[in-house]
Amino acid sequence: MVDLSQYLPILIFLVIAVGLSAAFVFLPMGVARLTGAHKPNAEKLSEYECGFPAFEDPRSQFDVRFYLIAILFIVFDLEAAFLFPWAVSLDLTGWPGWITMMVFLFELAIGLAYAWKKGALEWD
Amino acid sequence: MLQAFAFYLFAALVIASATFTILARNPVHSVLWLILAFFNAAGLMIIIGAEFIAMLLVIVYVGAVAVLFLFVVMMLDIDFAELRASFMKNFPLGIAIAAVLLAELVLGIGAWQSGGLELGTASGEAAPLLGRSNIESIGALLYGRYLFLFESAGLILLVAMVGAIVLTHREGRAVRGHQDIAKQIARRPGDATVNTRPESGKGVTL
Amino acid sequence: MIPVFEGWGMSYEAAWTVSTIAGILLIALPLMLAVAMVIYVDRKIWAAMALRRGPNVVGPFGLLQSFADGLKVFLQETIVPSAANKGLFLIAPIITFTVALAAWAVVPFNSGAVLADINVGLLYILAVSSLGVYGVVMSGWASNSKYPFFSAMRAAAQMISYEVSIGFILICVVLWAGSFNMNEIVLAQRGHGLGIVNGFVFNLLLFPMWVMFLISSLAETARAPFDLTEAESELVAGYQTEYSSMSFALFWLGEYANVLLMCTLNAVLFFGGWLPPLEIGFLYWIPGFVWLLLKIAFFFFVFSWIKATVPRFRYDQLMRLGWKVFLPLSLAFVVLVSGWLMFTRYGA
Repeated sequence: MVDLSQYLPILIFLVIAVGLSAAFVFLPMGVARLTGAHKPNAEKLSEYECGFPAFEDPRSQFDVRFYLIAILFIVFDLEAAFLFPWAVSLDLTGWPGWITMMVFLFELAIGLAYAWKKGALEWD
Repeated sequence: MLQAFAFYLFAALVIASATFTILARNPVHSVLWLILAFFNAAGLMIIIGAEFIAMLLVIVYVGAVAVLFLFVVMMLDIDFAELRASFMKNFPLGIAIAAVLLAELVLGIGAWQSGGLELGTASGEAAPLLGRSNIESIGALLYGRYLFLFESAGLILLVAMVGAIVLTHREGRAVRGHQDIAKQIARRPGDATVNTRPESGKGVTL
Repeated sequence: MIPVFEGWGMSYEAAWTVSTIAGILLIALPLMLAVAMVIYVDRKIWAAMALRRGPNVVGPFGLLQSFADGLKVFLQETIVPSAANKGLFLIAPIITFTVALAAWAVVPFNSGAVLADINVGLLYILAVSSLGVYGVVMSGWASNSKYPFFSAMRAAAQMISYEVSIGFILICVVLWAGSFNMNEIVLAQRGHGLGIVNGFVFNLLLFPMWVMFLISSLAETARAPFDLTEAESELVAGYQTEYSSMSFALFWLGEYANVLLMCTLNAVLFFGGWLPPLEIGFLYWIPGFVWLLLKIAFFFFVFSWIKATVPRFRYDQLMRLGWKVFLPLSLAFVVLVSGWLMFTRYGA
């Protein structure tokens, strides 16, 4: 049922888009060397820190809530992934399919309620 | 011809990026190579006609799981010297796991070569082919025949969610500046200000 | 287009290749032109709402402002900070812009005028837009600088938070349309409102979904009032702080291409795409892509309008809105919409 010829334009599109963006990034670098705009020095190449030298490693540890958000996102993304085929096959599965999904959604609603109650969705 | 070309392109890229995932010194580079591997695997899925699986691979693995990996890897202060030391320590274990995987691969291929193994549905018969797009066929099967497997997947997700919250949640963190939006909206000028006309010398009671 | 090229004496394969590449260029080049114009329009609208004149020097009415800016950044020096991971630093803008372009492959511009008419078009858009987070995260990390890194983390958490509810909103649309194919979604909206009006937005169950989709699309593209990733008072210029020259401009171009994509999605999913707004015969005389362009222009005006009028959210408010309001609401609407459809369409 899959028409592969419809995917070939996407592949070509991707190649063209990558080429175009790479040209946009690397052409000005070449042009700058030709025009003489390319004049790096140590101060220019240091990272931005409001006018004084940076004094600690910028890649510091982060709040654990960012991980939690990412994990919750995976769970809900998977839930959405289960919903996709269900949404277009309701005419084939009928009420049993619908009720199954409602049970599934209920299971995850419990999870959401738990996260809510525990304050995992809280940002202060 | 074109399909074969695309297959070899994607397959070569999968293997190359998987190799770089292992060889990259910087763990962030490793994750990015892994993402490239996922992406090309999605390309392979499209070639065998599993367009829905291909999209899911990108949405779930590239869009969600790899984001978590990146979060973890970017924010951990990884000490490379220590990593290399533990590499030598864990080397025998790594070899053992590799040997088990290799044995399983050989066994699996051997079993498949010898034939007679019916892979597929639980009852042994192949799933009926529907004249519909493969996303609809998957839906019809998953929510028709494999109801209980699907529900148990839901339970596993629930456990994962609860587990993540239990592991990362820290009790008793001081909540500061909690915002109650309903309370804010319900507030009227009359609640905040009062007009009084104090007699001179008496002052105002608050 | 293929028969035209075949008529010129090409073989089918050659005609297919030429027409595909022509189609890609017909999407990509006007898109880049549109982005340039849209940046100008954005500045003009924003200026008008603040009672300023906006760009009015370069060309008539300042129309060529974006091109002047483009030329300027093109001739500038590309600064790669010495502490940065150079490869990733340069790849990040490439990814951002590629992703912004690639999503347009499945957008239907007219009846049948779509580059890749795949079954899972909507999923493709979801997949491609979920890649957008990498350009931001990579640029923030590769810069090896404080503000870009903070901004990248914020942006990543923000984008994934709103992707969740966008997924559920799209499921409601798909439930009603019964397909993931973009063209079929458009056609399913024909005469949706009392047989006269085209568009899912006139459906009482889907109207709240559209409101949430509009707000989520603002958050997903990090437009005001959700532009916390480049909140200049806190994070300088966010993940773009260390960028210069064309690699800086690519983030801009990508951002506006994504804004246009979100406007298009609003039009295609809820306002009938290339269908005229009313189901009246003579309105079909006007070509479909004109209707689509008008709808996109309308939504872009709404985006600009919001940017000019609404103050920026705080991060905790943003997360609260995403996880505590939109997520439960969109989940509830999946139940409602599917339940309604079971009773009226599939149940009997």
